[in-house]
Amino acid sequence: MSTPEKSYYPYYSPYDPCKPIKVKTYSTPPNLYLGFQPPNLPQFSPKEALRAGTLWKPLYDPYYSPYEKAKEGR
Amino acid sequence: MKQLPQDYYELLENLQAVDFVLVELTLYLDTHNDDTDAINQFNYYVKERKKIRKDIESKYGPLMQYGNSYSGNPWNWDDAPWPWQV
Repeated sequence: MSTPEKSYYPYYSPYDPCKPIKVKTYSTPPNLYLGFQPPNLPQFSPKEALRAGTLWKPLYDPYYSPYEKAKEGR
Repeated sequence: MKQLPQDYYELLENLQAVDFVLVELTLYLDTHNDDTDAINQFNYYVKERKKIRKDIESKYGPLMQYGNSYSGNPWNWDDAPWPWQV
């Protein structure tokens, strides 16, 4: 349901001179699936929240560009 | 010029973390006006921030001015280090 990223596979012609891009990914942060934020979501501690970029655990989205190795964040 | 003790950075980081929590809670409470738990948490962190600010200002001088902080004697809010020099 709430995946940090989704991808699709564009069509590419065999006669395409350039190297085809086989898969394209796009970021889908959790807030897309949340709608109106319910109360009392689990929270980070202040220090962690500062690093994570959000106070609520379900909203945490470590954006990794598909090109850099998907570093395993918190 | 004298170097700042490590304690200064820790206190500033605590202040920054509490500030971030207050920003998040403010934005959350803008749309959830009657969430009493969040309001209680917000007030707790406001008190917390006041404590940290008083602690920092007692040790290292005023953080802000134009009436936001008490001043030392002599006037010292414009002494080094400025926020970008820290």
